[in-house]
Amino acid sequence: MKRITSVLLCATMIFSLAACSGGKTGDKGSTAAPAAAAGTEAGASQTTSPDSIPAHKEELIIGAAAAVNNLDLQKQADQINNICLKLTHQALFRLDEENNRIPCLALSADWIDDTTIEIKLRSDACFSDGTPLTAEDVKFTFDMAIESPISGNLTGLEGVDVIDDTTVHMQMKSYSNDFLMSLTFIPFGIQSKAAYESGMEKPYLIGSGQYVLEDWVDGEFISFIKSENYWGEDVGISDRITFRPYLEASSRVIALQNGEIDVCIDPPINELQYLEEDKNITVHEQPGTRLFYFGFNCEKEPWNNQTLRQAVACAIDRNSVIQAAVYGKGTPQTTVLNRGLWGFYDDMDGFDYDVDRAKQLMAEAGYPDGGISTTLIIANSSPYTMIAQVIQANLKEIGIQVEIKTLEDATLKSTCVEGQHDLFLWRWNETIRPDCVYRDLFNTGVASNYHHFSDAKVDELTDKVLMDREEAQRQADSKELQTYLVEASPQVPLYIANLVIAYHNDLKMPFFRGGGDHEWYNAYIAK
Amino acid sequence: MVNAKSRSMGQETFRRLLKNKGAVCGMVFLVLLVLISIAAGFVYNYDTDIIAINMSQALQPPNANHWFGTDALGRDIFARMLYGARYSLIIGVGSVAIGLVIGVTLGAIAGFYGGFVDQMIMRTVDVFYSIPNIMIAVVIVSLLGTSTMNLLIALCFTCATSFTRIARASVMTIRDQEFVEAAYEIGLPTWKIILKHILPNCLSPIIVQVTLLIGTTIIAASSLSFLGIGVPLPAPEWGAMLSEGRQHIRDAAYMCIIPGLAIMFTVLALNLLGDGLRDALDPKMKR
Amino acid sequence: MLKYILKRIMLMIPAILATSFIIYFAMDMTGSDPATALAPDNATEEQIEQLREELGLNDPIFVRYGKYMMGMMKGDLGTSYVTKRDVFETFMTRLPNTIQLAFTAVFVATLIAVPLGIYTAIHQNTWKDTGGMVFALFGVSMPNFWLGMILIIIFSLNLKWFPSGAKGGPESLVLPAVTVGLGFAALITRTTRSAMLDVIRQDYMTTARAKGTGERDVIFKHGLRNALIPIITVIGMQLSNALTGSVLAETVFSWPGVGRLIVDSIAKRDTPMVTGAIIMSCVLMCVVNLAVDLIYAFFDPRIKAQYSQKG
Repeated sequence: MKRITSVLLCATMIFSLAACSGGKTGDKGSTAAPAAAAGTEAGASQTTSPDSIPAHKEELIIGAAAAVNNLDLQKQADQINNICLKLTHQALFRLDEENNRIPCLALSADWIDDTTIEIKLRSDACFSDGTPLTAEDVKFTFDMAIESPISGNLTGLEGVDVIDDTTVHMQMKSYSNDFLMSLTFIPFGIQSKAAYESGMEKPYLIGSGQYVLEDWVDGEFISFIKSENYWGEDVGISDRITFRPYLEASSRVIALQNGEIDVCIDPPINELQYLEEDKNITVHEQPGTRLFYFGFNCEKEPWNNQTLRQAVACAIDRNSVIQAAVYGKGTPQTTVLNRGLWGFYDDMDGFDYDVDRAKQLMAEAGYPDGGISTTLIIANSSPYTMIAQVIQANLKEIGIQVEIKTLEDATLKSTCVEGQHDLFLWRWNETIRPDCVYRDLFNTGVASNYHHFSDAKVDELTDKVLMDREEAQRQADSKELQTYLVEASPQVPLYIANLVIAYHNDLKMPFFRGGGDHEWYNAYIAK
Repeated sequence: MVNAKSRSMGQETFRRLLKNKGAVCGMVFLVLLVLISIAAGFVYNYDTDIIAINMSQALQPPNANHWFGTDALGRDIFARMLYGARYSLIIGVGSVAIGLVIGVTLGAIAGFYGGFVDQMIMRTVDVFYSIPNIMIAVVIVSLLGTSTMNLLIALCFTCATSFTRIARASVMTIRDQEFVEAAYEIGLPTWKIILKHILPNCLSPIIVQVTLLIGTTIIAASSLSFLGIGVPLPAPEWGAMLSEGRQHIRDAAYMCIIPGLAIMFTVLALNLLGDGLRDALDPKMKR
Repeated sequence: MLKYILKRIMLMIPAILATSFIIYFAMDMTGSDPATALAPDNATEEQIEQLREELGLNDPIFVRYGKYMMGMMKGDLGTSYVTKRDVFETFMTRLPNTIQLAFTAVFVATLIAVPLGIYTAIHQNTWKDTGGMVFALFGVSMPNFWLGMILIIIFSLNLKWFPSGAKGGPESLVLPAVTVGLGFAALITRTTRSAMLDVIRQDYMTTARAKGTGERDVIFKHGLRNALIPIITVIGMQLSNALTGSVLAETVFSWPGVGRLIVDSIAKRDTPMVTGAIIMSCVLMCVVNLAVDLIYAFFDPRIKAQYSQKG
């Protein structure tokens, strides 16, 4: 008996030791040194002067679908990282509710000739450690960005010259309609040159935003507190903003209902009915920007046959796909450009669901009896699994046997890049730069052109749309490019998913972004 | 001589097994399951009944037309469940069978020869034993891609390691006995000695382990489908159905409950049978 | 005794080397290129190539493995391809969570299983026995992620007794621990039952009864003590399984543990993280197994004598 007791005692001791040892060992945020107070220049449309901060709950907890994995701005590309970075850093420009470019750290940007952009900066901005933000920091940031893994977003930028403390010139290879929009991209948030030169361990944590990193425990939560040295009038309201990853969508919803979190990002659509019944919770829906598409590997037999691709386009029932994938909360479209981008044009004839026409095109393509056997690769998450099964059934009707292979995201990407696949399902989320859709998806030789599509006319039109200075001409070229791409059918655009988000009734947030990259620095829970 | 002994041992075991009510229930269930999975192939047409999409009928709770309701793509769950029995059975039995052959061979060799061969084999087995089998399965499926065959291969590792240990232990206890020495004296080749004289006497722990491992493997397969790397779509494997049903646990709970119950009862039947066999084969039990 | 411990530690080393070798090569053979996976969607070929250079992916596999081994000797398990953080550090951050879950689960399981096992052994062949065994069997026959979700629905959503996931205070540990523990309970119950049955029939029990000791004392003092060895063995096995195998429970409850870390890293082809985490898990399992062996050497004087002699 004594022995059993001692064993149990040991076990209890070990257990309680383990329980206590579950401590926090993540990053700690940088401590802001006290410094001069912020300036008085009005910032963007939402300003709250420090005196008129409304009554609010101290902490805003947001339940996210993924965990933050990297806060080094220029070395990552995930949306969840960027959402956090929007709290701590600022880019030269921002986007308002209509996706227009408005001043942020920069006041204006003008093309003074075909290869130079003059940017005027504000003089009162400073970093979270109190040091002023000057043209040197801007130059430093962009010099670093040109060498970084994400420099693909800055194509054409050759260098940045400092003219004076508040003016820089960006030297471009050629004129680009979209480049200024790239300056709103938060991975190009201005970082502190001094921080990098001081040799501190994580200089990228120093930013000019309303919040600073407080604590980060990998996989559990990441929290931000208000910066003491914010330069602007649009200060943050919530004292602390925390993101908690809930990888399992239903547990995210349950957490919202239990009050563990205040906001649930991406609630699963079939569970919205429970949230809608709950009187404390608001469900918000708005048009989204993420386009889901079905792609062909245009270099591989038999998918190099344009008529065959058109036949498949006619065989796919987009409405069933939307119903299966997002329970109808999506918008079908014919064009390849994301809805909401400049120049969006969806009125071309295109290929609607018409099985008879599909069979006719199959015959024209040389396959009157079908008899094609092929593979469709998808990522192993919904909605792809649902979309794939609908399309598999659709294609069966016209005599194409599809085998579905689910792959991990990483494998999917590399298989597509290597060009070993036949068919694939993927998505593209672009909110501000149409060039990124045309070029990255359809231009010859680009790595993310999983279709391996190559057409000189498309390349040519893409450049024109990027560089046309005359609006009417640009609209015409844009229409022509989209119509041409729909006709060539390197992919079948399926639908744009709606943005759905659920939150506590008392959440005050100016607006949500269709692409999911919301700005949380304005948000708070009213009391 | 040996044959006569094992036949009556088999009959004796069967008789004792029948006395165990739990084991009998298990056996009956399993026989029914096998019959259903065979019959399903004849009653249902795979293309029209099992995988055809019918959006207008999606997510209907159990009713007169669809006894188990329909899933998110309008497919009848009752039909998919019956058809799905074959995947679980094939994967379970297949993995265990492959593992059995590999494991018993390795274990017998290790146990019989001892020494360096034994050490090599056992250390390798230990390495695989120390990596949890989910990880092994995930790595192998990542390596080879998702397909039923690859799933079988991935899952047979755990089975093989288990059988190696059991076979080795049994062989080691028996190899020093007199009748083996006698066989040597007569001049029988080693493999014949192992096959005809030693292994039949190791059968009991192996048989028990077979039934238990089939159950474990069925659960492992459904776990892998849950993680998204099991049998490829749109096959109606129970674990895959559970994974699809997971998204509907609140608005269409029957989608999760039914496949989960099916897995549970199948594995329960196997465990009851396994326990019954263990009791029946145990010489110490006096009934 | 000390020599025995040292010997076991020495034996661990080749096992770990072999494991790291296998995992490293397997991850490499998965055929997909980590650089493509890690680069942003719109990276150019040159950038992907640059990333490959940075990660050292252009060296032949043996060179890479060699470098990795050298690092491992010094205790450096490399940096994750994805998060650029130290593998060892990430693992150690997640480890306490898994330990908490594992220990609690095994604790819960033992609490249920040992008394149940004793009860069914005493009442062998009655309906109480069958009932108890079937209950234990349910635990091992259920896919535990399914059980987890049912528990969430009942206890978290409807009754609102416990939170649904993610790590919080002690109440967030309950549902995950029960989910993982119920499966273990079955095996521990069965082992307890058969160990007790073995022991009950032994001669010294008859002697004890003949001597007039009360039935309760017979069972607990004499029976259980001697039955403990296989029971502790199986508890130890479950513990080491729990430490590494609770991936599914960690998924369903968003519990930031080691199992989930490994599976996610495999999905992202994060070779250093996968290899490092699996090696650490193996080390952990070996340590736990060693501890279990030592505990029952402590219990059984015969085994203790054996080790001391050899030692």
